[in-house]
Amino acid sequence: MDASELQPITDFIQGLVPFDTLSSSTLDLCCKSLSVGYYSKASAFVPLDETDPQLYIVRSGAFEVRNDDGELLDRLGEGDYFGFPSLLSGEKVSNRVRILEDGLVYHLDPDTFDYLRVESRQFDRFFNRAFAKRLRHQARFKAKELTTTSRVSSLMSNNPLIIDINACVRDAAKKMREARVSSVLVIDNHKLCGILTDRDLRNRVLAEGQDGSLPVHQAMTTQPKVLSSNALVFEAMLLMSEHGIHHLPIVDDERAVGVLTSTDILRGQSSQPLLLIGEIERQNSLDSLISVSKQIPLLLQNLISADARAEEIGRVLTSVTDALTRRLIILNQKLLGEAPMAFCWLAFGSQGRQDQAACSDQDNGLLLAHEPDEAASGYFEALTKAVCSGLDKCGYIYCPGDIMAQNPKWRLSLSQWQNRFASWVNTPEPKALMHASIFFDMRSVFGPASLFDSLQDKVLAETKDNDIFLAGMTNNSLVESPPLGFFKKFVLERDGSEVKGIDLKHKGNALINDIARVYALSAGIKEVNTAKRIRVLMEKDIINRKDALNLADAHEFIAHMRLSNQGYQHTHTMPISNYLQPKHLSSLVRHQLRDAFKVVHDAQSGIKLKFTRSF
Amino acid sequence: MLSRYLLKSKLCWRAFRAEEQALKTYYHGQQSLLDLDVERVPMLAIDLEMTGLDAQFDQILSIGIVPIEEGRLILSKAEHKLVKIEGSVGQSATIHGILDHHLNRAVSPEEAMSWFLERCQGQMLVAHHSPLDLAFLQKGLSTHFRQGVTLMAIDTLAIEKRRLMRQHEVLKEGALRLGASRARYGLPVYAAHNALIDAIACGELLLAQISAIGQGERVKLTELLA
Repeated sequence: MDASELQPITDFIQGLVPFDTLSSSTLDLCCKSLSVGYYSKASAFVPLDETDPQLYIVRSGAFEVRNDDGELLDRLGEGDYFGFPSLLSGEKVSNRVRILEDGLVYHLDPDTFDYLRVESRQFDRFFNRAFAKRLRHQARFKAKELTTTSRVSSLMSNNPLIIDINACVRDAAKKMREARVSSVLVIDNHKLCGILTDRDLRNRVLAEGQDGSLPVHQAMTTQPKVLSSNALVFEAMLLMSEHGIHHLPIVDDERAVGVLTSTDILRGQSSQPLLLIGEIERQNSLDSLISVSKQIPLLLQNLISADARAEEIGRVLTSVTDALTRRLIILNQKLLGEAPMAFCWLAFGSQGRQDQAACSDQDNGLLLAHEPDEAASGYFEALTKAVCSGLDKCGYIYCPGDIMAQNPKWRLSLSQWQNRFASWVNTPEPKALMHASIFFDMRSVFGPASLFDSLQDKVLAETKDNDIFLAGMTNNSLVESPPLGFFKKFVLERDGSEVKGIDLKHKGNALINDIARVYALSAGIKEVNTAKRIRVLMEKDIINRKDALNLADAHEFIAHMRLSNQGYQHTHTMPISNYLQPKHLSSLVRHQLRDAFKVVHDAQSGIKLKFTRSF
Repeated sequence: MLSRYLLKSKLCWRAFRAEEQALKTYYHGQQSLLDLDVERVPMLAIDLEMTGLDAQFDQILSIGIVPIEEGRLILSKAEHKLVKIEGSVGQSATIHGILDHHLNRAVSPEEAMSWFLERCQGQMLVAHHSPLDLAFLQKGLSTHFRQGVTLMAIDTLAIEKRRLMRQHEVLKEGALRLGASRARYGLPVYAAHNALIDAIACGELLLAQISAIGQGERVKLTELLA
């Protein structure tokens, strides 16, 4: 046999780094020595035979490598390798390879592998580097599970406040005040013997009628629970919740080295957004709000680099927007005085759905309890203009479609809003509906819940099981389709000769939002967040469990791709856009993205069948 | 159980009738394969290219074989034989890309047949739409040994058809072709075609089918032959 007869296999191998560095005769020899295997998801793991190590070359399918503790080391797809660490180190196989998707794998035997390493220095270097990198990678995948894998030492405060056992409680209280902490460690002959907290001072000193001269050892908690500094944060949380305590002395070799409080843990988990929202709520002028809001892009970057879930990022960013909006309303009400009637500030579109990302514009409206008289209308005009311009200055630009509370068209009383919705629902004109769809993703950011409910309940009562309206909404949502062509190839958008890439927003997430919206309106579900809508639809058995989970995963995956792409654009100072170039993706990610779009495509066929009764 | 018994007695009869020793060995070998679990069965995925579709008039152009041992295709033992034909390659050249001058290193049909019978000793044959390939091989072997020869093979097309029928799918035209069948298992598209590549493609398809049928459980050889 001559190797050219194995053309498709040779072509594939030749396209892989580092096989592309081999001479054609070496490559032929390599291809001829391969054996081909097929691994099925049903068997869960690739059976790795330690007496017979091989280089595994993934031809199709998806796999993940975990070490013996079950930690994720790597995810693999077409053109990736596994099995090389034991080939290189000669050590026994300790990693396990899980089969995520059925796949075809080429095996290269150790003799040929060694021969290729001798033949090509680049080949040898590549696998040695990959080996070293995989060891490093262990850290990368950890980022997500901060509390379960990070150590106490990373969150505790060092140099703890200490006091001698013979001091009096007044001195202890003074020390705590100076250091602005809520606890002090009590030391007897360099050894930790107790802890004195705010609570002890209250319960054992003040409430008992003792005075400040009481010795510390009579008020402290003796034999406190302690942990060592290399304990897991997770263990600390467990200990605290088991014993109902908020302070843990950290002790190494019998020496107190730090204190960990429940606040430290909270801060470590999601400090930034909470701090930012707290800061927003403390600001008293527009100027200071503007300067605080400059931190928002940084917050987004941090969340992206911490590999947070896209859904969480959307929720966090939206809560910041909500807090900013509320603060602007409150500040302006201080200037304008009490409102003449109850009102709700409505958020539409992405803010309504809680999936805001970088460079969002405003989509909002105002809901008034009843028809305003002239004075009231003047009040609300002034209020909304001030809030909208405040938002604009904080980075949420004016809505190009003028869907804003400052536009009198979208500053309506309850009955006017109800009529407006009724006109969309009862005479669903395609074009009008297309613009109206964002109004159906509405949420109240400010104002009494009862007022908002009386609007939403009325709207949902009209949309529920309203076949004509739902068919109209469905047809609108089918105008765009996922960017997949024949043979599941990506369809790229072009702008003249320049390839813009895949539009992840309009051909991905927007479609899933549309699908979830149609279902939710058909069933009268109050949720507006897409992931929550899908969850409720699944619980109510309106979408079957498998399809719902697939759709939720596709939504998360595409949103995640969009955010990490924007993170990439940001760090490379490129303009932020929704376009992704598929050639920048690894083959595994490309494969997953294709599958996600396939799910969107199937779900579109689903609503088409269900709501328009056509194929 | 019953089908295995029937098959065995058929093979026993054929072995008894066979005059040529190589053929006797082949039938006996097939008999002992029937007791094994699928992953233990040594197999040989094959594909033929012919000048046409009629075994009576058309001739074999090339034979590709690749052994499957313990669930792996062994490419180092794969072989591709070109066979000499009478007359010119003619029209089929456009399909197979085999040109007359390729046939210079071709062997005679007689050599090809004894080589093939030697290779399939103790191996279960695998082919996509096996009746066609077997018809040509049986004709060739019968001519060579001057007595009737009946080969046995796993047919990946028949397996695919049964699977689809069981799922109550409407069989579209071309849905059972090798490429279309492979696509359902996410197997790669092989652009080039020759007997060897198609034999490999067919072997890979069988591995995928076995894993889909078994879902992690053991599969009996007779389930594939049914």
